[in-house]
Amino acid sequence: MLRFTATRLVQLVVICFLISVFAFLLVHLLPGDPTLAILGPNDTPAARAVLLHQLGLNKGLLAQYGTWIVNIFHGNLGASFLTKQTVTNALSVAVPIDLELIVVSQVLALLVAIPMALIAALRPNRAFDRVATTSTFAMLSLPTFVAGPLLVLVFAVTLKWVPATGFNRLSQGLGPNLKSVILPSVALAIGSITVYYRLLRADLIATLQEDFVTMARSKGLSTRYILLRHVMRPSSFSLLAGAGISIGTLFTGAFVVEVLFQLPGIGFQLVQAIYGRDYLVVQGMALVAAVAFVVVNFGVDYLLTVLDPRVRRA
Amino acid sequence: MADSADRYDRRAFLTRGATTAAAVGLAGVGLPSLLAACGSGTTAPPHASSTPGIGIGTPKRGGTVTIGLNSEIDGFLPSASHFDNSGLTYANTIFDTLTVVGADGSAKPYLAQSVVPNTDMTVWTITLRPGVTFHDGSPLNADVLVANMQALQTSALTGQALRGVVDTVAKTGDLSVAVTCAEPIVAFPHYLATQVGYVIALAQLESQNSTKPIGTGPFSLVEWVPNDHLAVTRNHNYWRSGLPYLDGLTYRPISEDQSRENSLRSGTIDLMVTRDPDAIRDLRDNADYQLVLNPNVGQGDMDFVILNTSVAPTSDIVVRQALAHAINVDELVKLFGAGIAKPNLSLFPPGSPYRPADNGYPTYDLAKAKQLVAQAAPNHGGSIKISLATITDPRLLNEVQAIASMWGLAGIQTTVSEIEQVTFIDNLVTGQFQAYTDEMFGATDPDLNYVWLSPTTANGPIALNFARNKDDALETALQTGRTTSDQAVRAKAYQQVDKRLAQDLPYLWASLATWCSIGSNVVQNFNNLTLPDGSKALGFSNGVLDPTPVWRKD
Repeated sequence: MLRFTATRLVQLVVICFLISVFAFLLVHLLPGDPTLAILGPNDTPAARAVLLHQLGLNKGLLAQYGTWIVNIFHGNLGASFLTKQTVTNALSVAVPIDLELIVVSQVLALLVAIPMALIAALRPNRAFDRVATTSTFAMLSLPTFVAGPLLVLVFAVTLKWVPATGFNRLSQGLGPNLKSVILPSVALAIGSITVYYRLLRADLIATLQEDFVTMARSKGLSTRYILLRHVMRPSSFSLLAGAGISIGTLFTGAFVVEVLFQLPGIGFQLVQAIYGRDYLVVQGMALVAAVAFVVVNFGVDYLLTVLDPRVRRA
Repeated sequence: MADSADRYDRRAFLTRGATTAAAVGLAGVGLPSLLAACGSGTTAPPHASSTPGIGIGTPKRGGTVTIGLNSEIDGFLPSASHFDNSGLTYANTIFDTLTVVGADGSAKPYLAQSVVPNTDMTVWTITLRPGVTFHDGSPLNADVLVANMQALQTSALTGQALRGVVDTVAKTGDLSVAVTCAEPIVAFPHYLATQVGYVIALAQLESQNSTKPIGTGPFSLVEWVPNDHLAVTRNHNYWRSGLPYLDGLTYRPISEDQSRENSLRSGTIDLMVTRDPDAIRDLRDNADYQLVLNPNVGQGDMDFVILNTSVAPTSDIVVRQALAHAINVDELVKLFGAGIAKPNLSLFPPGSPYRPADNGYPTYDLAKAKQLVAQAAPNHGGSIKISLATITDPRLLNEVQAIASMWGLAGIQTTVSEIEQVTFIDNLVTGQFQAYTDEMFGATDPDLNYVWLSPTTANGPIALNFARNKDDALETALQTGRTTSDQAVRAKAYQQVDKRLAQDLPYLWASLATWCSIGSNVVQNFNNLTLPDGSKALGFSNGVLDPTPVWRKD
């Protein structure tokens, strides 16, 4: 186990380094630079040269990368060329939003998907299974940019139960906070429900046909006990892996929902920064998102070893 | 996602109420709609028994209002930040301008007690109001004003714009400053009502802090979280006694038009600014909301296609004439204007003294367009091929595709593309385009658009006259309008400007921008700004609000 953990940590460091290089290089490959965004029509060669010097962008790429990395180790991710807000500040706004969106949406998705999959697996190809499968397909075909506005129309505009846009922080009260995230979380959960349901259902059906389940039934154990105590655990590996990828991608993949509901999460701010050639913000946000993805999947791998001793022994 | 998920579009380019703001920088060019029109000349439908935006009864003190704006800004430093309509609204909340525009369109002293010219209008003496303090307690005086103006002059953002306007600034008394202009500038007071007229505290100016504004305005900063909200609280020491009424305000930038409308309808926000004809159509007959359209004062923002007159084939006047004749603006408006927009084939709105009775702008005539294409094609390799682009916005893309179809009927081959905002601006400024959709020219005085139209700014690798239209007669007319105080002569001069533009065709006009502010009935008085002497000022114009007189009914 220790060796497993150590190996993964080394891999994590290497991956983070590679991500930092790609994040840095890719944004610098974009045409244009922040001077145009800052100076606009006054982007004369003279003004541009002065500004490039002020921003440190007149140095070579290697020097700029070196400066950026050294600053990161000092806890300084830099500041926006445009708003002058530090990247750390921007992340302190964005990360809680994305974390809460991810937690609420995935909890919702699992709360719906798991019971559905359990019932469907017990009675495959029967009425419930057919209805569940069809409706999850329908959910999968409903893109977020359609689901979001529909939810807003019904629950915000018509019923006025929740706000249409914006994020209320926890400091403003749990009720207002939950109200502000419920609609975007549901919009995000719709796609995840389908994936989790199908993964779990398939694994459950396969596991229910194993000999040990037959043995357990012959011993007189109840179906419920068998499902929850014996079948659920070995059937959850795919679900866990799928959840890991899903959660990781949501750090930036929730962009559409963030725009629709005006939530300044990582994805939203990242795209704004790309359009503005706000290099340090792009680099910082991309690095954090990528590291989060890697860490989440690292955690998933670790959980798999806990769930499945065979992985641990391998 | 209208108005772009590419929020960067809001960092636009051309300011509202334009001053040469190249300085005033980047204003909402966003170009959301090629069509506009709402505004000028139309009146808002009646709601209940009140005039929309004008409060009924005695103002009530207290409470807060949440306002949804169409964009976010990049800071609160007039010399370095880009103030589009949202930026100017924020600035009106925390700062004051030296002058404001009255309901009659003239610039009136506001933070300044007086703005007086010498006989030939080359020296303007600004006298400040006594006893005014900034939010940090420091006094407003001549030293502060001089420092502000010098910062604007030396700034890379605003300096170029002021170069043709302000020569020197000198203190002449504790509260008075003399500004010497490079030439007679009749419209100088109007400049002081724009971005270059805001006065910030010395502490903010010296620190060049763009995130913590310190002004003299009705509200002071509580918290600014970019892309999330701006929260402000009442300035208890505001120099206008009794104002503001509200305890505080929260602004939420909501770039997506539909999201902003939904936010208003769901009660998430109380008031919003929009230029979406669909939202106006949806809400104008709803008695739960008050709708204030753009006033018929000065020039509204125009939506148009800009042609680069320095590159082929758009350098060919015959081609430009063909393009103009081929666009059926009435049809375009009908398709995309939601029944709100109205065509406007002039730089100036209907009723403007600067608009000639007939400016000679080419009307829709497909047969004529085809004839002109046939005439010009041999000079361009046998066919006319145009590249037409817009920023990444689904609605704009539909509109340019419609235009491309219209041009196609005339025999013009058009390739349509979407361009990211930063590149779009770059191409406009450096002249690397043939035809782009654009939006600008909103101004309370036509001289504020001098820098965008003058041939003197059409040269070099970076040109503020993006169309690069060089017309000596146009320059003569612009100069006359700039330097003469005779209103009749000025009117004639700008009528000549309009005629020259209709002849040169660097811009293919479409319609006026559909700026509108829409508030729920609990928000009162959001279009009733008054001056210290009680006379009326412009409370809402070209997407810019002033929240000073707003109060809540509940």
